[in-house]
Amino acid sequence: MQALRRMQQSFLGHLLGRPSDAVDYIQSTPEASAAQRLGIYASGYRLRLKEALETDYERLHAYLGDDLFDQLMDAYIDRFPSHATSLRDYSRHMDVLLRETLPFSGIPVLRELERIERAFNHSFDAADAAPLDPACLESLPPEAWPGMRLELHASLSVLDCAFNSFPIWRALSRDEVPPEVAHEPSTWVVWRKDLVSLYRSLPPDEADALAVARDGGDFSALCEALLAHHAEQEVPVQAVTLLRTWIDEQMVVGLA
Amino acid sequence: MTRPFLGFGLGLRTDHYDYVETHRPDVDWFEILSENYMVPGGKPLAHLDRIRADYPMVMHGVSLSIGSTDPLNTDYLAALKALAERVEPEWISDHLCWTSVDHTNSHDLLPLPYNEATIAHIAARIRQVQDLLGRRILIENLSSYVTYHESEMSEWEFLDEIARRADCLILLDINNIFVSAHNHHFDPMDYIEGVSVERVMQFHLAGHSYSGQMIIDTHDHPICDPVWALYEKALRRFGAVSTMIERDDNIPAFPELRAELAIAERIAADTLAPEQLETRAGRMRGVA
Ligand SMILES: [Fe+2]
Repeated sequence: MQALRRMQQSFLGHLLGRPSDAVDYIQSTPEASAAQRLGIYASGYRLRLKEALETDYERLHAYLGDDLFDQLMDAYIDRFPSHATSLRDYSRHMDVLLRETLPFSGIPVLRELERIERAFNHSFDAADAAPLDPACLESLPPEAWPGMRLELHASLSVLDCAFNSFPIWRALSRDEVPPEVAHEPSTWVVWRKDLVSLYRSLPPDEADALAVARDGGDFSALCEALLAHHAEQEVPVQAVTLLRTWIDEQMVVGLA
Repeated sequence: MTRPFLGFGLGLRTDHYDYVETHRPDVDWFEILSENYMVPGGKPLAHLDRIRADYPMVMHGVSLSIGSTDPLNTDYLAALKALAERVEPEWISDHLCWTSVDHTNSHDLLPLPYNEATIAHIAARIRQVQDLLGRRILIENLSSYVTYHESEMSEWEFLDEIARRADCLILLDINNIFVSAHNHHFDPMDYIEGVSVERVMQFHLAGHSYSGQMIIDTHDHPICDPVWALYEKALRRFGAVSTMIERDDNIPAFPELRAELAIAERIAADTLAPEQLETRAGRMRGVA
């Protein structure tokens, strides 16, 4: 068992590109040396991880182009050996790499594009839940409203952007030339409705209100957030209108 | 022979979800890649449930890492068991390999040294897995590119002895036998004849690629003639064994894969007696 363990550590070390005596465990034959035979596994290892990263970050890939994205993948693979059981989770530290590694860390729009792709990947297979029946609101007694909290669909993400990252993402998704990067503070929501991932921008009042709901704030906190945008007497109507919109769009799965 | 015979199946691939749901093609069963459905929700599970309603399924995994010297991954096993409760598969399989050590994953099916210490280690772990899942599992032979100095027996002796000691079943990959026979210079018939008939529950068929002097198990081509010939010989030895084609890259339209599966049906019909090919669903396969 100890011998097997040492061999496995050595073999894996070889795949990770670390100093390793793996070659000493392997037989050479006339048509392929031990090093060549191990090389099949080493190149396969990198190829598989790259496939996983390419699958998760198609738009980032399109934005950076093949060479820079390849450089990004190599840096990622060198820094992050996989501790995930499934390749689906391998790319989860991409935000760290983009924040800390040059030249990528000098291009802040990349971090926003990464968050957008991650939000879509998350929305694709986040937990299922039946959307809230709009009739639930009618049966809610008046005294329950202020303390009511919304349970949002697990697929939902609210994204604050400093740049025009969504228009860039959208152009890349359509194989179009993306617009120049511009400062364009905006908030977006990504979620899944009827198994399809959707997104839209949020006007400032809705962005604040949805952020409150996402963070577990109750209906009175949500109304308070709307006070910054609307006259006090309009706030209840605005709040209920937003709530009905979210329910119609299947963003809400329960009330608590 | 009391072995259940499912007939002729294909690997379920995302590219084919819509085709399968729309046309309900004439395929006896599907094999799913377990890890693809170990997700919280969304489309993968929705498609899985819909297709499962119409077809028998088996679950095939790549992450059990039965040969690793790390402890068994209990989170993975719990997820596998939960998926099995949803799918109610005919059986569950994984590979006779290791994939990870020190909790670092190669995401590859890495070969093992064929010796007594490895046999004892793996047989005990398979028993643990079977106890946990409450059922026997199938282990599959690999394509491999290295031979260890520490190996003391042939791959088939290793596979067969583990299956005997663990009391588990075998998924025999005919293409992998062909690939490894080429890469390690053994006669594939020695392999076929060295595996216990009663343990083999399923066959895999697949295509491969050449890389210099070595054959790589790429699952990106149609099955080649020597592998079909080996399949016929395997049928002669093992009888009717549930057969499926694995295609993971360069995936053609569904009807093209279905046509390739018809070759397997024809070979089986030419090799075995009609009553041997009666599936549990009562269908005579490979008979016009
Ligand atoms: Fe296989």
